[in-house]
Amino acid sequence: MSGFAVIPVRPPKRWRLRVSTFRTVRYAVLQILIVVACVFVLHQPPPEPPARYALTEFSLKENGATHAVTLPHFTAHRFSMNDPPVYTGEFAWSEADARQAWSVLLPRFTNGAEVAVNGVVLLDSRRDSAANRSDRATPEIVVIPGSLLHNGANGIAIRLFVWGPITGFLDRVYVGPDDALRPYYDLRTLIFVTMPVVLAAWQAILAVILSIMWIMRRHEVAYGVLAAAMALGTVQAFVPTLAPPQSGHLGGILLASAPLEAGLVLIFALLFFGWKWSRAGWLIFLPGLIVAAAGVFGSRAQLREVFLFVGTPTVGLYLLLLALAVMQVAIRRQNFAILIFGCAVTIVLTCWIHDLLSVLSIVPDRRIFYSRLSYSSMLIAIGGALTWRFARALNQVDGFAGRLVVRVREAEEKLKQSFAREQERERAAALARERSRLMRDLHDGLGGQLVSIVALSERGESIAPIGDAARAALKDLRLVIDSMDDIGGDLMLALGSWRERAVAQLRPHNIALDWRTTSAQGLPVHPELRPWHVIQILRLLDEALTNAVKHAGAMRIQVTIATVMDDAGHACGCITVEDDGKGFDLGDDGMVPARRGGRGLRNMKKRAAQCAAELELVSSAAGTRVRLKLPYRFPDGDASAV
Amino acid sequence: MTVEKQPSQTITILLVEDDAPTLWRLQEALVKAGFEVRAAANLAEARDSLAAGPPRVLLTDLQLPDGHGNALIRETRARFPETEIMVISNLGDEESVISAITVGATGYLLKDAFPTDIAATVHELVAGHSPISASIARFIVRRTQTAGEPAGEPPPGPALNTAKLTPREIDILWGIAKGFSYAEIAGHLGLSRQTVPGHIKSIYRKLEVHTRGEAVFEAVQQGLIQL
Repeated sequence: MSGFAVIPVRPPKRWRLRVSTFRTVRYAVLQILIVVACVFVLHQPPPEPPARYALTEFSLKENGATHAVTLPHFTAHRFSMNDPPVYTGEFAWSEADARQAWSVLLPRFTNGAEVAVNGVVLLDSRRDSAANRSDRATPEIVVIPGSLLHNGANGIAIRLFVWGPITGFLDRVYVGPDDALRPYYDLRTLIFVTMPVVLAAWQAILAVILSIMWIMRRHEVAYGVLAAAMALGTVQAFVPTLAPPQSGHLGGILLASAPLEAGLVLIFALLFFGWKWSRAGWLIFLPGLIVAAAGVFGSRAQLREVFLFVGTPTVGLYLLLLALAVMQVAIRRQNFAILIFGCAVTIVLTCWIHDLLSVLSIVPDRRIFYSRLSYSSMLIAIGGALTWRFARALNQVDGFAGRLVVRVREAEEKLKQSFAREQERERAAALARERSRLMRDLHDGLGGQLVSIVALSERGESIAPIGDAARAALKDLRLVIDSMDDIGGDLMLALGSWRERAVAQLRPHNIALDWRTTSAQGLPVHPELRPWHVIQILRLLDEALTNAVKHAGAMRIQVTIATVMDDAGHACGCITVEDDGKGFDLGDDGMVPARRGGRGLRNMKKRAAQCAAELELVSSAAGTRVRLKLPYRFPDGDASAV
Repeated sequence: MTVEKQPSQTITILLVEDDAPTLWRLQEALVKAGFEVRAAANLAEARDSLAAGPPRVLLTDLQLPDGHGNALIRETRARFPETEIMVISNLGDEESVISAITVGATGYLLKDAFPTDIAATVHELVAGHSPISASIARFIVRRTQTAGEPAGEPPPGPALNTAKLTPREIDILWGIAKGFSYAEIAGHLGLSRQTVPGHIKSIYRKLEVHTRGEAVFEAVQQGLIQL
C-alpha cells in the first residue's frame, strides 16, 4: 500500500450483497403482507340486503333448452344480443305487503338486464350508460307497480344481454319492500358508481396541474406523461357507454384505453426513475393501438379476441414490470415516497389478479372489479405526491435563495474587509516603496550636494563653489518634487518644467537652448509611467546638459523631442540632446574613459538601462549627441536588474 | 511691443521677506535693475508701507512671522487693483503658489533665481506679461481633467475652480505645461503670438476668487461645501 491515499469508504462486496439481500427480503415481506391485506379486504362481501329477500332459484332458458340454475350464475357465451338467455323465477307476495312499495334489486350483472314482472317489462339497464360499463358494478333497482302484483306467486323474468368482452353474469336478485332494499342500492351506487366519477374528477384536476407543470418545465417529461395518463383516464370515465348496436367503434377505443394508460404509467415510472427515453419506448403503446385498431376496423368478435389476448395481458404485464421497476428502485434508494409507490403498485396488481381470476371464473366470486378503482386511487396518490414534491422543491428553492442571499452578504462583507485590508497593505507597500525610492533619489542628488557644501564651507576656500553646490542641491530638490507630481503618464508635462529649469541653468552661461518638438503631442502617453522613471530620465537629461556646459564648452544646445517607430512598429518617444561643443573621446566599448566626465556618462547609461530605454552617444570634435530612445512600455521594476 | 517700457525709477516695489539674507539678495538685484524697493520683514511692516501709498508691484513671501502672505495679497488686491502681485517661493511648488493665485497673485519668483532673471521677470510683469510656469500650468490642466468627474472626495492639493476657463485657455495651459514656447503654442492653436500673454492674464483673473460670497458659491460649485 502506498499509504496515505484517501480511498472512498465502500463496504466489501460480500457485505453489500448481504445488505441488498436483506433489503429485498424486507421489501418482499412488506408486499406480501399488503397482498394478504388486499385479499382479506376483497373477500369482504359487498353490502347485501337480508337473505330473506333473495331469489336464487331460477329456471334458465338458453339456446332453446331450459334448466334450473341457482344464482349467482355465469353464462358460457360472450355475446347474446339476438337470443338472450331468460331467467324465470317466482316470488311470493300477499295483500299484507301492499302497504309498502316493492322493488326488484339487481346488485350485479353483465352486461345488460331486462326485468319483467308478471310479463310486464319494468327495467332495461341498457338505457343506463353507467350500467353498460362492465368494469363498474352498477346496481339497478326498480319499483314494481302495485297493480301488477297479486296474492301468491308472482313471476319474474330477467333477460340477460351479453356483448362482451367477458361472459354474462347474474348475481342474486332481490325482491322485497323498497325500504329494505333501497339503502343497499344507494350504498352500492355510492361505492361503485359515484366513487369512480369522483376519482375521475380528481384525476382531471391533477391532469390539469401536471400539464401546467410540464408546460412550464418541458424537461420534466415524466409530469407530462402522467398528465396524459390522467387525462386518458378522465376521458374514459366520462365517455357515455352505449349498449350494442348503438355503441359502434367507441367501445373498442374505450377498451384500448386500459393498455394505453398502463403504458403511460409505466413510461412515467421509468422516466421518473431516471430512464432515458428511446425510440423503442413507443412500442409500449403498440398493444393499446392494436386494440384500438381492432375496435375501429374489426368485428365485435375480433375486438373481443384482441382485447382478451392482447389488451388484458398487456395491462398485467405492464403492472408487473412497474412493480419490478419500483421494487428495484425502492431497494436501491431506500426512499419513503418510492416505497409507498411500490405498495400502491402491489395493491393495484393484487386487484388486477383478483379481477382476472374473477373474469376467468377461476375464483367463485360476485364479479365485482376493483382494479379500476385501485388504479385511479394510485394515480391520484402519485399525482398528489408529485405536487407535494414540487411544492417542497419550491420551498427548498426559497430557502436556498434566502441562504444564498445571506451567504452572498457574508462573502461580500468578508471580501470588503479583505479588500480593505489588501488595499491598506497595498497602500503601505506603495508608501514604503516610494519612501525608499525618494530616499535613494535624495541620497543620489541632494544628500551628496549638501555634503559637498559642508565640505567646501569647512575648507574656507572661495565661496563660489558653495553657491553652485547649493544651487545644484535646490535644483535637485525641485526635480524630485516635480517628478513626484501626477502627470498622467505624459512625459511632456515633466519635460515642460525641466525646460524651464534648463533655461534658467543655461542663462548665466550664455548658452542658448534650442527646443524642438516635432509634433503637438510630442511623446506618446505611457499610463505605466512612474515617478522614478521620470526622475531617471530627467536626471539623465540633466547630466547630458551638465556635460555640455561644464566639459564640452558648448554655445548652443538643441533638444529634440520626437516620436519614432521601433522595430515592432510601435510608436516610441525619442529625446535628443545635441551640443556644438568640442566633444570627447569614447572608449572602444563606447564608454568614456573615467578621467573626464566618465562617471556622468556611466550614470546616464545606468539610468537609461533602468528604464529600459536605449541610450546612444555620438561625440566628435563638432559636438556631442545624446539620443535617448524611450521604450514602448516602461518596466515595472528596475529593468537593468533583470 | 506697443507699450514702451516705463523708466525704472518710477516703479516702486514692496518686497516682503522675513529671511534677511534673502531679502538683501532680492533687494540688491532689484535696486541694481533700477527699481525703487520698499522692504518689509513681516505683515505689519508691509501694511504700514501700504498705508503710505500703493506700490506698482508687491513681491511677498508666504510664510511670514505674523501671518500668511495670502492675507496681504488679498488686501492689496482689494485696495489697489492696479498693483501687480507676485509670490516669492522657495521651490515654486503648486501647493503654495496656487493658493496665492486664487487670492490674486500672478505667478511666482524663485528665491534663488539669478539677479538678471529677477529683474527681467518683474519688468515683464509690469509690462503686462504675466509669467506662468510649466508646473503651475500642469497643475491647472490636471485639475481641469478631474473637474468633470463625479463629485466625490475633492482632489488633493489646494482648492481651485477651473470651471470658468475656456477650452482655448486650457489648450494654452497644456502647451505651457508641455514646455512649448508662446510662439509654438500660437502656431499650434492658430493664434497670433501677441495674444498669448493676454490669455494668460485672463487665466489668472479667472482663477481668482474675489469675494467671500463668491468663494462660498465656488466652493459649492466644486462640491467642497455640502449645502
